[in-house]
Amino acid sequence: MSGPWISVKNTKKAFLGVFLAALAFFQLFPLLWVFNYSLQKTGDLFGPAFFTLPAVPQWNNYVRAFVDGKILQSSINSVIIVVSAVALTTVLAFCIAYACTRMSWKLRKWVLGFVSLGMVIPIHVTLLPNFIWFGLFGLIDTHLSLIIPYVAFQISFSTLVIAAQLQSVPLAMEESAFMDGASYRSILPRIIAPMVSPAIVTAMISTFLSDWNEFIMANTYLASDDKRTLPFSIIRFQGQYASDYAVQFACMVLVAVPALIIFFLFSKWIMAGVSAGAVKG
Amino acid sequence: MKKFVAALGVAVLLTAGVGAQTKVSLKVGDNLPDRTSGMGLVFDTINSEFKAANPGVDIAVESYPDQPWQEKVKIYVAAKQLPDINKFWSFPGMFMPLIDANLVQALDKPAFDKLGYMPGALESNVYGGKLYGLPLTADGWVIYYNKKLFKDAGVAVPKTYDDLIASVAKFKAKGIIPAVTDGKDAWPLVITWDALTEKVNGDFSRTQAAFDRKAKFTDPDFVKGATLLQGLVKSGFFAEDLMVSDYGASRNLFGQGKAAMYVMGTWEVGLGADKNFSADFLANVDAFKFPTVAGGKGKADDFMAWFGGNIFVNATGKNAATGVKYLEFLAKRWPALAWEKQAGYPAQKVTARPTDTALAKTLLAIGGEAKMTSDGPPSTDRSDAQFKDDIQKAAGELCALIITPEQFCAKIEAAAAKAFARK
Amino acid sequence: MKRLFNNKPVIAALVLPGILVMVFAMIIPIGFSVYYSLTNWAGIGAFKWVGFDNYVEILTSDSTFWRSLTNVAILIVVTVFLQNPVAFALAALLARIKPRWSRFFRTIYFIPAVLSVVVITALWTNIMNPSFGILNKFLSLFSTDPVTTSWLGKPATALGSVIWIIVWQGFGWALLFFYSGLMTVPAELEEAAKIDGAGWWMTYTRVILPYLFPIISAVVVIDVISSLKQMEIIFLSTGGGPGDLTQFTAVYLYQKAFVASQYGYGNGLSILFVIVAVGLTLVVQRLFRTEGEVA
Repeated sequence: MSGPWISVKNTKKAFLGVFLAALAFFQLFPLLWVFNYSLQKTGDLFGPAFFTLPAVPQWNNYVRAFVDGKILQSSINSVIIVVSAVALTTVLAFCIAYACTRMSWKLRKWVLGFVSLGMVIPIHVTLLPNFIWFGLFGLIDTHLSLIIPYVAFQISFSTLVIAAQLQSVPLAMEESAFMDGASYRSILPRIIAPMVSPAIVTAMISTFLSDWNEFIMANTYLASDDKRTLPFSIIRFQGQYASDYAVQFACMVLVAVPALIIFFLFSKWIMAGVSAGAVKG
Repeated sequence: MKKFVAALGVAVLLTAGVGAQTKVSLKVGDNLPDRTSGMGLVFDTINSEFKAANPGVDIAVESYPDQPWQEKVKIYVAAKQLPDINKFWSFPGMFMPLIDANLVQALDKPAFDKLGYMPGALESNVYGGKLYGLPLTADGWVIYYNKKLFKDAGVAVPKTYDDLIASVAKFKAKGIIPAVTDGKDAWPLVITWDALTEKVNGDFSRTQAAFDRKAKFTDPDFVKGATLLQGLVKSGFFAEDLMVSDYGASRNLFGQGKAAMYVMGTWEVGLGADKNFSADFLANVDAFKFPTVAGGKGKADDFMAWFGGNIFVNATGKNAATGVKYLEFLAKRWPALAWEKQAGYPAQKVTARPTDTALAKTLLAIGGEAKMTSDGPPSTDRSDAQFKDDIQKAAGELCALIITPEQFCAKIEAAAAKAFARK
Repeated sequence: MKRLFNNKPVIAALVLPGILVMVFAMIIPIGFSVYYSLTNWAGIGAFKWVGFDNYVEILTSDSTFWRSLTNVAILIVVTVFLQNPVAFALAALLARIKPRWSRFFRTIYFIPAVLSVVVITALWTNIMNPSFGILNKFLSLFSTDPVTTSWLGKPATALGSVIWIIVWQGFGWALLFFYSGLMTVPAELEEAAKIDGAGWWMTYTRVILPYLFPIISAVVVIDVISSLKQMEIIFLSTGGGPGDLTQFTAVYLYQKAFVASQYGYGNGLSILFVIVAVGLTLVVQRLFRTEGEVA
């Protein structure tokens, strides 16, 4: 049966669709803009033309990014450092979150507070002291020199997120497992962790995104060319005064692509993760 | 037994031989991450040549942009791990702390005197009677311009400040931005103020006198300079986005033929050969001397020029001797290579080549015709980092039209007094 | 059973490794930082012990410091009272459409949050360019004279423009949090409200929002902390200028410690920054007194 109310409903739907699509374009635009710029000649950037397609796409910018930017070597370093940091951060955060929310001891609220307030420490003032301090242990210019501070700075947010979701898991879980004679070593990874997997995945994604793009500590604690991480490839195209901007943009695209891929792959879990994680505050 | 002793002897000889061939690993730190063009390429070329001439030496380079490199140097100094060779700056505020900490290797000045350095170049790196670093480039303040845009707007090459102001209306009528510079970083604005002040008072030494507290920054000549600078902004000489336009953006605007003039230093000699810009631009880019001021004592051939960048050897490193050898090698190869690649304006004399661009020839001429050059770096670099921060901020406020020229000078005066007290 | 839940060795084993890493890479340098803040070190060369002079100067005569805190406060207010409601409304909208479309849109809306801030800032600086940014080109369509406002350079508009960029970039995370929260609202709750005759406004304000109170409080805490730590976007766009109108505390302490070589002073700013941040976070958490949350 057709009638006025169905066509109203359809116009509403159409209007909604247009609105959402416009917004989507608005959010998608930065990516298109960077990609477009990465295919131009450096001299053509930052000019009056906001978004003109390049006359001749300079794919050479990407070749240069790979070769002169040493993308491959930097990627290997980044992957080693970031994967280690993410794994370590998540495991340690989970352990602390568990101990502070589900075990009973006097200091648990203080420890949880201490760990989560780590989020407010500014990175810049830790650079010089850490350079000297890490140097005492021979850590400078090694992968560990980044893995350790990356973990330290990301553990706060991860702990918070996981702790929040842990609070909604009934204590009965452990109790029945203990009844069956299991120990903590098997309960934590096999029973509890899967129950808060959305929060764990959320923490991993957030840690990954922060560590992947990090360059301040990478500049400070590394020295050798062959240890550089991916964000440094952009710097390789900076001259003393002017720089090769188009190639820098190509590097930015190459740095952003893995992050976007990871996000797309895991977005399914993030949605569920953030929800359960945030419910109990 | 004899055989054994003989074998042992051979072994000893061999190991001694091996020991003598152990590579010296020279660590270099600089602010040239891009090694595929410009100065980075020149340095890489020199490094390869040096390694070829000295087989026992290996060179490892660590590069960052300016600000991160300065921070890393401080960190290295604190951790006692400064590289063997450092590309740095000769400004007293930056260089003296290193010299005072006995980190800089003194060099034999007579050895370098014969290598064609311009007058004042080596002296800019002499402290306490000793030569500590080698200057690399001569930095002078000029105005680049686009001949075609000038023709389109019917503007002749400006000789005075009033010419600059008069050209604004003509350029704007044609939809051309009169001039651009890096307003975001503010130091080009300070240098322009220095240049204008000298055109007013005809005396480069006034600035140092003010720093030494023998004159005041609130004196009329400094205020006039600031008024003229703000006048440029108010008249629309600079683009609307002056204060947010950074180095690359302003340079590109000029290179794309959207702005008629680019107020910058002689290190941009490479503009005439930059393949990133159109052939049209390359054929039309040139430069002219910084204009005089009507009623001012400064002449056209008073050249605001200094020697900013330098390179020094870490005196406390174990490769100091090799480092000095490297510097001697560099001094011989640098001017020809740098000029050939149009990477900058060398601090040593070069002769114009037939293949030089019109721009390069003009800049050489400006340098050659200079009758008087400044007695030191721009105001930003005559004191410590804190003063530099203060003056750059004040210049930003002046050109954002937030404060008056009188207030600007008062702020500089206060900052200079504080800096003097800190010494 | 109690014994298993307060098994001291297990607790230690779970907690100590993480704490050790934090102490090693964060607390020790902060200790150094406190030490440096009591000197007048320039980062290089000799230095003198000055006790609390730096702190006194910051608190009594550093107007830039106070302005930076004011700007942080303004950013927090804009984020909490403008960005969050818009994000919430959009999340509510997305919650009502087909799940597959919803996931498609949500992913796209999150893209700016994934891209590097260097890209975001370069893009917006370009859009807001007075001479040829498309913002002015667009506004010029509606006026007789061409609009040439320098959004990031003019004193009157600089702060608003910078805040816009920051809020725009963080929008994706807010959207995510609220959407997921909305997904946890039991259907029965909404249905009960409908049966009681409540319209959508009533349903949201009387039923759903109170249910989501814990999430909202968590988002506000994150807003406060991330507003305090905002650095790159401001540094790359205005550098705190014009004057110090767009100065934010994290940018200011970086400039003082490293650019102006006032390392001791910069560290003093840092320590005060941490104190303010901790204090503010505790206040917010107290306001949103939720069970089982952090300190």
